[in-house]
Amino acid sequence: MVLLREGLCPGLSEDMVKALQGECIRTVEDLVSSDAEELAQKCSVSYKALVALKRVLLAQHTAFPISGADLYEELLSSTSILSTGIPSVDKLLDSGLYSGEITELAGGPGTGKTQMCFSVAVNTAHELKQNVLYIDTSGGVCAGRLLQMLQAKTSSTAEQMKALQRIRVFRVFDVFTLLCCLQNLRSNDLQKGSVGGGSVKAVIVDSVSAVISCVLGGKQTEGMSLMMQVAFELKMIAKDFNIAVLVTNHVTRDGNGKLKSGLGQSWSHVPRTRILLQRVEQPGAASSLRTATLTKSSRQSCNLMEEFNLSLQSEEEVKSGCSGKRKFNTDS
Amino acid sequence: MSERLRMAESGAQLLARIEGRQSLKDIEQHIFPEDGGPAQGDVVEFHGVEGSGKTEMLYHLLTHCILPKDSGGLEVEVVFVDTDYHFDMLRLVSILETRLTGAADENADGSESETEEAVRCCLRRLSVIHCSSSVQLLLTLHYLEGTICSRPSLCLLVIDSISAFYWMDRSSGGESLARQESNLRKCAELLNKLRRDYGIVVFATAHAVMRNYSSAAHGSSEPSGSTPSWKKNVMDFDKPYLCRTWQKILTHRLVFSKSEQSLEAVDQKQVFSVACSTVRTKGVKRCTFHVTEGGVQFIDEKLQK
Repeated sequence: MVLLREGLCPGLSEDMVKALQGECIRTVEDLVSSDAEELAQKCSVSYKALVALKRVLLAQHTAFPISGADLYEELLSSTSILSTGIPSVDKLLDSGLYSGEITELAGGPGTGKTQMCFSVAVNTAHELKQNVLYIDTSGGVCAGRLLQMLQAKTSSTAEQMKALQRIRVFRVFDVFTLLCCLQNLRSNDLQKGSVGGGSVKAVIVDSVSAVISCVLGGKQTEGMSLMMQVAFELKMIAKDFNIAVLVTNHVTRDGNGKLKSGLGQSWSHVPRTRILLQRVEQPGAASSLRTATLTKSSRQSCNLMEEFNLSLQSEEEVKSGCSGKRKFNTDS
Repeated sequence: MSERLRMAESGAQLLARIEGRQSLKDIEQHIFPEDGGPAQGDVVEFHGVEGSGKTEMLYHLLTHCILPKDSGGLEVEVVFVDTDYHFDMLRLVSILETRLTGAADENADGSESETEEAVRCCLRRLSVIHCSSSVQLLLTLHYLEGTICSRPSLCLLVIDSISAFYWMDRSSGGESLARQESNLRKCAELLNKLRRDYGIVVFATAHAVMRNYSSAAHGSSEPSGSTPSWKKNVMDFDKPYLCRTWQKILTHRLVFSKSEQSLEAVDQKQVFSVACSTVRTKGVKRCTFHVTEGGVQFIDEKLQK
């Protein structure tokens, strides 16, 4: 809803707003949907002025079409793929997290969601030298663990510190603060093109379900609305600034006892790619082996499964992530 | 605004407008019943839960529209309104490339650069618009009226998805349902005008998010062995929940569903199914398909049996 008011656009004077209000035309939608000729007669505003006003308002408020060819060109030059730092998961994701989309990690407690987020953050900050925004909603960020992962990659303290500086952590504990944080990022920080020097390539929300699941339920629609607003903010951040967004989600079981990601049907449409993390059950000691299953993707066939070891991440030689310009072939 | 543009149209445009837009009737005989394809001014809803193949099918039909005639396409222009921020250009390109090289193999061998050029040529027939609120969608549709009017080769308007702002509108509209639905209602009224006046075909996806409690209870009372799993899924979420005005302008409804991984799966591939019902033909036409790297592949019913 965009209210008509003086100064909204050139040619919209106070008298005109009042005259239109007399005819119950209060918003831009009302004005655009109305019949200019009829309206001109009713509220004695010149037809010409009304049509001009309509055109200006439309030009101000509509989204403009982009030719598919231009969009493709832009995409080829700007898409980057961030490695997760775990080779088997990269394989699952067709070489990593794609910029411009939302990837979801779903899994029960202790399945390695946060560890994987750390891995993405460390890898992006250290290997790719790009900034990462880490929105922590569950108090799970552990700087010690990040440092530990960095130490496995480089022995230089200066480089470790530099990488840590590239990871900016936001702590939010309710959905309103999360929305506020995302809106701020979108309209201020990211707009300027830099957050503390250097461009941002990844936004991580760990976990999105921790703040949203508590506002859902019952017969109210506010919770759903808040959830979809968060979803839209994330989508816009991903698309408009060409950023890879990674979110984590909890899991529930459906009627047949199969695991599915949480937050219900409406949220399920939001992420483009989803990975389901599970523990590998082993009798006796707790294992650090996890399986990752691709449950949603538009690039790879679904239900591919890979195994990886959480504890190995800090010791393993991690291949450098690929990013930047990449030619997309049919087989990719 | 439309009047002004109409005044400025060229003779060729006038002729094209009077002749009418190209029909999409034969766009896909697998899905639509015989003589029941989307004719001028039809509105088709793609309804289904997440991961049930709606988007894939949309890309399949979209590809068919923008491909040149000599590659078996329709060579018409398409406007894609992306309200989900979900449009995957890379996926569309890979489908296009598969279709183009498939067609080229039959005639002559085309080099890679030729395919690349052909892909770009196809993509020029496509315009993409991202909308981030229901108000913006409404205003964009108003703006599109001029575009549609001046471009007779523009035959298809795709909205993915029409239900994107449903929850936000519900919550921001206050207590009355009429207020809650007002933006979508206005969009539907405008779409109705666009399809009626300009004969444009509208494809829109709708996320299935409303559980159909009555039929779910009905479904569970049946022995589970007799109902195929995909049918049960359909019963769960096929309740139309968008506003009445939208339901009224629909001429076709495609309900998508995904089978559980089971014996039904041929070669371990996921089987998707789509049920098409139209206002013009009786009964429901069903068909099944796989999603492969090169796009949608229909399963021949006869071969399956």
